[in-house]
Amino acid sequence: MKTEIHTLKERCKGCLICVELCQAEVLGVSDEVNKNGYHYPYVKKIEACIHCGMCEMFCPDFAIWVTSKEEEAIV
Amino acid sequence: MVKDIPPHHPIDSFLHAGSIPSVWCPGCGIGTVVYAFLKALEEKEIDPRRICVVSGFGCTGKVAEYLNIESSNSTDGYVIRHAATRLAENKNSRVVVYSDNADLLKSGAQDFIEMGREGLNLLVIHINNFVYVITEHRVFPITPFMRTSSDNRFELPFNIPHLAESSGATYIARWTPFHAGWLKYSIMDALSRQGFSVIEVISPCLMYYASTWRIGDAVERMKFYDDHTVMKQGESVENLDIRAHDRIIIGKFVN
Repeated sequence: MKTEIHTLKERCKGCLICVELCQAEVLGVSDEVNKNGYHYPYVKKIEACIHCGMCEMFCPDFAIWVTSKEEEAIV
Repeated sequence: MVKDIPPHHPIDSFLHAGSIPSVWCPGCGIGTVVYAFLKALEEKEIDPRRICVVSGFGCTGKVAEYLNIESSNSTDGYVIRHAATRLAENKNSRVVVYSDNADLLKSGAQDFIEMGREGLNLLVIHINNFVYVITEHRVFPITPFMRTSSDNRFELPFNIPHLAESSGATYIARWTPFHAGWLKYSIMDALSRQGFSVIEVISPCLMYYASTWRIGDAVERMKFYDDHTVMKQGESVENLDIRAHDRIIIGKFVN
């Protein structure tokens, strides 16, 4: 399974619930700020993601979501 | 001018995406409750044209402004009566009420009891953040335990599930935003049945109780929910008082 994490950094308010709740430590805190002045999360190591959906479920600002696509079978 | 944000998020079709980011504080629980509600609509494949959202006053009242489905805003204290009017206008749709403490316990208490006894087909999502900002130093119905007013009186907080059961509600549950998955299934459950349903969501305000309850930021608030709640399904509603030193009992109580 191949997952992909999408973020809309301009919606983020920097509560960092997603970074804290991610058990696989996929997300990290960016050094840069968005236009409202918040440090937004970024995807640090996508290969550790297990698609639990916690970041998507707990984000109060609808700024992060996870999609998955089945990996093509290797012949 | 509407900001140009492309609708990408899975539930962006239910939202006015140009109005996001919302006015709520960073890490406020209301956004999580809205996400759980919209995800419940999506997973249960309910036609959004059959849903009508009514919200009231204050931070919780902003819910109606961000939703792309049929929604309206009422004045302070008239949210249940407003919802009853919307229900009388279109009987086929399910009316969902987002209310806060003033709407349900202070100026709207009469409507809450009356409409509950009539058994209206409403789903009330009550976001209980222990705040009634007009009465900053006075006693109000949901004053947290041992928090005194300026003249050193204190009150016990209202037991909302008990009031709802006395009024005749047929579905009563209590969750926190930390239990968003449970909350989502609870909303799906309540949407599938008829009658007066009440779901209380306990969401301590990050602004007003940060110092009293020693909640620092949003991450500590999540840990606070984890430490201070215990799940007891089917607990009797008389035991659901919120005290400072007890754990908050969550679960589905009346079904």
